[in-house]
Amino acid sequence: MGKIVSIHSFRGGTGKSNVTANLAAQVAMAGKRVGVVDTDIQSPGIHVLFGLDETNMGNTLNDFLHGKCTIREVAFSVGEDAGQRTQLAGKYLWLFPSSIRGHEISQILRDGFDINLLNAGLQTLMSEFDLDCLFIDTHPGLNEETLLSIAISDLLIVILRPDIQDFQGTAVTVDIARSLDVPNLMLMVNKAVPGYDYDDLKGQIEGAYKAPLTGILPLDFELAGNASKDLFSLSNPLHPWSMELRKVTEAILVVP
Amino acid sequence: MERNTAAQLKKINWFDELPDDMLAELAQKVRKRILSEDEILFNKGDVGDSLFVIISGRVKVVTQDSQGSEVVLNKVGAGEIIGEMALLDHEPRSAGIVALEKTSILELKREDFMGILKEKPDMALSVIRNLSSRLRHNTGYIEQITEMSRRVARGDYSFIGETQPVQKRRKKVRDQDKIGQLMAEFFTMVQGVREREEELKMQVQKLTPQIDEAKRKQVFEEITSTDFYAGLKKQAQKLRAQRRDNK
Repeated sequence: MGKIVSIHSFRGGTGKSNVTANLAAQVAMAGKRVGVVDTDIQSPGIHVLFGLDETNMGNTLNDFLHGKCTIREVAFSVGEDAGQRTQLAGKYLWLFPSSIRGHEISQILRDGFDINLLNAGLQTLMSEFDLDCLFIDTHPGLNEETLLSIAISDLLIVILRPDIQDFQGTAVTVDIARSLDVPNLMLMVNKAVPGYDYDDLKGQIEGAYKAPLTGILPLDFELAGNASKDLFSLSNPLHPWSMELRKVTEAILVVP
Repeated sequence: MERNTAAQLKKINWFDELPDDMLAELAQKVRKRILSEDEILFNKGDVGDSLFVIISGRVKVVTQDSQGSEVVLNKVGAGEIIGEMALLDHEPRSAGIVALEKTSILELKREDFMGILKEKPDMALSVIRNLSSRLRHNTGYIEQITEMSRRVARGDYSFIGETQPVQKRRKKVRDQDKIGQLMAEFFTMVQGVREREEELKMQVQKLTPQIDEAKRKQVFEEITSTDFYAGLKKQAQKLRAQRRDNK
């Protein structure tokens, strides 16, 4: 059975969805069978990076959680419908999107859903798609579905920006992951602005959280400009951001 | 009067090694002129055929910018010399001169200067020797600046402080020595470059993840104290055990 990798950040705006989509694409490029679930039902976003919008989005995680379809029916096969992401054509990569329709988002936030059903769905798609790696793009903060994602993870990757509030929030996430016996924990820094001694910071972060810091990804305006509609690590493989991201990919691949 | 004029001429490095009799001869040829405030001595582009020595007062060295407005390049005062190269070459004036106040000057015309040179070949030799010495001196500067430029390119600023510009070793150099000015500017520039570089290095700051441990504990307890969390923890343990068995 494959591994579940949750990508989390305590606060929004860390570039979590962008990192998750690029990591998933890179692992799929390595020939693995990969799923990506958007459990950020309050503010979904990762679908855009795989070319989905209102016009071509089929069933969603919301439909599954409301009993309207099976989890298999939510799958969007990126390998069969790669569009401009031609490198991903024929790869084993499926996206399980959250609804982007306003009334469906407000409905699920108002009525809630059975967290056990989400859990069952995730376990089912792991086996039905015979996944090597399931990435869960979580909602920032520590609400119930995020806690579930962390609880069932084989690997939790916490993304932080180098600032005081993220340092504090990450400490809590790390404590929760340990309390929930997550077997593997990694940290990564995104949006690293120039002007700081990042070698020094790596040592300090690893000391403070007792977890490996696998990548420090630079803030790049070129990247920020097209991050939301393009898989940057595929279109700019030699960019420092992409090279650092591949370090994280390699670390994910060696986790048992 | 002429003795006084000869003394003025001796201060000019072109003539400073001339014997007194030659200086006296030169002094007879120079013409004293008084410029009133704002009087133009010559304009940029004029044909230059005289050398001027300022005895008292001040003048400005001016040129025009691309819009035709006046740009002051320098201000020159008593004891300084203007347009000396025009005595030997025939180039037009590279800048104009305007009196800033009532200014007293000495003018030496090229034809008078040449006349003396023809009569007194010793004086020509003396002027040539002087020019040659200035050239050698300037070549020394150029070599020094070349070497220092190479060191700056490598990020080596160690020569600041350890090297004295050659200017300071040579007693006779005067303020109007343009290559000396270049040298001084070069040192100022290198110092500026080094300071900016150090400032940039300082900006690479250390960032320390400061964590409020009390707050960390408090938030952790808020999250983990719910029934949901207790159930989740139990469920997660069960799931992990199942998945371990499946592997």
